[in-house]
Amino acid sequence: MKDAQHLLRVIIIFVAALVGFLLVRSFLVPESFGKLGHYRANAVDDVLALPRHYAGEPACKKCHAQQASDKAKSSHRHMSCESCHGALQAHVDSPKTVKPSKPKENEMRAFCGNCHGKSLSRPAKFPQVDLEEHNRGMACNQCHQPHQPK
Amino acid sequence: MDMSLIESLRNALPLVSGFIYPNELELQWSILIVLYPYITGLVAGAFVLASLERVFNVKAIKPIYRLSLLVALAFLLVATLPLNLHLGHPERGISILMTPHTSSAMAMFGFVYLWYLMVVLLMEVWLDYRKQIVEWSRSETFWPKRIFYKVLTLGVDNISPRSLAIDEKLGKILTVVGLPSALLLHGYVGFIFGSLKANPWWSSPLMPIIFIFSAMASGIAAVMLIYMFLCWARDVVIDMPCLDTIGKFLLTAIIVAFSLEMLESLQTAYEAEEHFDIITLLVEGKLLVSMMLIQIMLGSLTPMFLLGLTQVVELPEKVRKVFYMLSGSLALIGIFAMRWNVVIGGQFFSKSLRGFTTYKMHLVGREGLFSAIIVELLPLVILAVLLYLLPPWEKESHSKSPTTAA
Ligand code: HEC
Ligand code: HEC
Ligand code: HEC
Ligand code: HEC
Repeated sequence: MKDAQHLLRVIIIFVAALVGFLLVRSFLVPESFGKLGHYRANAVDDVLALPRHYAGEPACKKCHAQQASDKAKSSHRHMSCESCHGALQAHVDSPKTVKPSKPKENEMRAFCGNCHGKSLSRPAKFPQVDLEEHNRGMACNQCHQPHQPK
Repeated sequence: MDMSLIESLRNALPLVSGFIYPNELELQWSILIVLYPYITGLVAGAFVLASLERVFNVKAIKPIYRLSLLVALAFLLVATLPLNLHLGHPERGISILMTPHTSSAMAMFGFVYLWYLMVVLLMEVWLDYRKQIVEWSRSETFWPKRIFYKVLTLGVDNISPRSLAIDEKLGKILTVVGLPSALLLHGYVGFIFGSLKANPWWSSPLMPIIFIFSAMASGIAAVMLIYMFLCWARDVVIDMPCLDTIGKFLLTAIIVAFSLEMLESLQTAYEAEEHFDIITLLVEGKLLVSMMLIQIMLGSLTPMFLLGLTQVVELPEKVRKVFYMLSGSLALIGIFAMRWNVVIGGQFFSKSLRGFTTYKMHLVGREGLFSAIIVELLPLVILAVLLYLLPPWEKESHSKSPTTAA
């Protein structure tokens, strides 16, 4: 036993290291870790506390019932208002001061073309038009109502 | 969108070809992730070389036993650095050990790494040096060094034959345990890539095995070159039987690694699954230089030819030394190229299998070329310190002939 004393010390060091590790760990593991899953439960509150950018369609409905009900009947019904109008929480908070932008008349073809311009990479079934040919020179909303295109 | 981002996209776009998904434009795993398997490979290879002496009783390589251990240790200490530097928040890297998830391959690597560092390598070095450490702690005149040795003795200066015999036995057990640990360590790196099923260039059960054998080749080559350099620097005669034996093992490792790689390529080519077209384009295009020329021609075939010559033809010592030096260096370059081709190559092509992105290495910055060079040189600095503190040649100096001081 006397000749293995140095090994005993090694074992002591390893045990001390292990205890040290557990000690450090108890400080470094965040408070609410593991409560809900393999993450910090408080992160949920932290995320909730972040400033919001998108308000969501139910918020728009309260003041723009007409557009909402138009859209609900149309082929655009699955699209959120903010996918065309941009993030608008600020507008919801103060509708008078923050005015959302609408696509201008001369930008309309490019705007609708973002989704409807002909492209091989889109699913073939998705409604697409050749922007060069489909009623060239006219804004799309002269014939299609954006909230009720068809 | 942020203007500077648009600006950088504008530069990148002409270098992209075919159809890729938007999130594939920027290649995420940079040169640092190339270094990670490269450095761990050097560790595993050096350790395997050391264990040849201890476990398999290859007496000829005794002169480099301790050196190999120190090389393994020096590189191991740096092995996780490239991973940490790659993180946007390096200080959070520790979380992987604090709150590990069993489904995270990387988190488990942290424990494999710790096991190997603490239980295998440090213990083995310490047991092997313990006698000297005790002697040095008595005889060293430079006081900081003496205190360092004193600490390392752990306050026990018993070097009775019986205690040394215990050390010897334990050391042997540790090497036997260490060998699978070293293979596990590096096989694990291969496993991390091999288990990425989304990427046909990586996803292969052969990956860990290929990584292990190329690791052996790189580690053996590195120790060989370092040994030759140290002999030259210290003005000591190279132990030719030792060098010849290392050369033989290097040849074996390169042959096995290369054959496995070729077998895998053959299989990919013969199966010709839906990803085969893009891989052909990749190998014939973006990887032509780094794979065909550097990895295969220069890094594998040339050293195989040179080392093969030393086996079949009786060559004078001088020529053999030059051959060893050449093939060692080429093997190291070739294996670096192999890691590059795996890591960077695997990110070149799109998941659509219809297009390529590009990689533009930064010069400065956290993930730039300079940090890669520093990460690569750091182990050599650490090795120099280790050699100063724990000179591996003390033991053999009387038995061998360290002749001719210049
Ligand atoms: C609290 C009521 C309210 C809510 C909620 C609200 N808005 Fe408005 N919105 C208004 C008012 C009022 C105006 C007219 C402002 C003006 O003309 O000065 C307006 C104007 C607009 C305009 C511009 C009309 C134009 O002719 O320029 C758009 C587009 C718009 N809202 C979209 C939305 C969307 C999308 C949402 C949901 C994210 C939304 N609004 C939520 C009250 C609201
Ligand atoms: C397909 C894209 C699209 C979607 C989805 C959409 N809008 Fe519009 N919206 C437009 C365009 C384009 C205009 C401008 C029409 C014009 O100037 O004639 C517009 C105009 C408006 C206006 C100004 C008044 C008007 O009718 O011209 C309001 C208010 C508005 N949208 C609210 C909404 C709300 C609320 C929703 C969700 C229920 C919504 N929009 C969904 C494209 C869209
Ligand atoms: C964000 C993408 C997007 C934008 C922008 C957009 N649309 Fe659509 N549009 C759709 C989707 C999705 C559908 C539903 C397709 C389906 O039913 O498969 C649709 C359907 C339609 C249809 C009906 C086609 C059919 O055959 O059923 C028309 C017409 C149309 N959009 C016109 C427009 C016009 C005009 C604009 C510009 C004011 C516009 N869209 C802007 C996504 C978009
Ligand atoms: C002159 C009026 C007019 C203008 C301007 C116009 N369209 Fe149309 N569009 C139509 C008519 C009418 C149809 C139905 C034709 C049909 O079903 O063949 C149609 C059909 C469509 C369809 C459905 C195609 C399909 O395959 O189901 C889409 C999508 C569409 N338009 C988008 C647009 C877009 C985007 C613009 C602007 C670039 C635009 N339209 C401009 C009149 C117009």
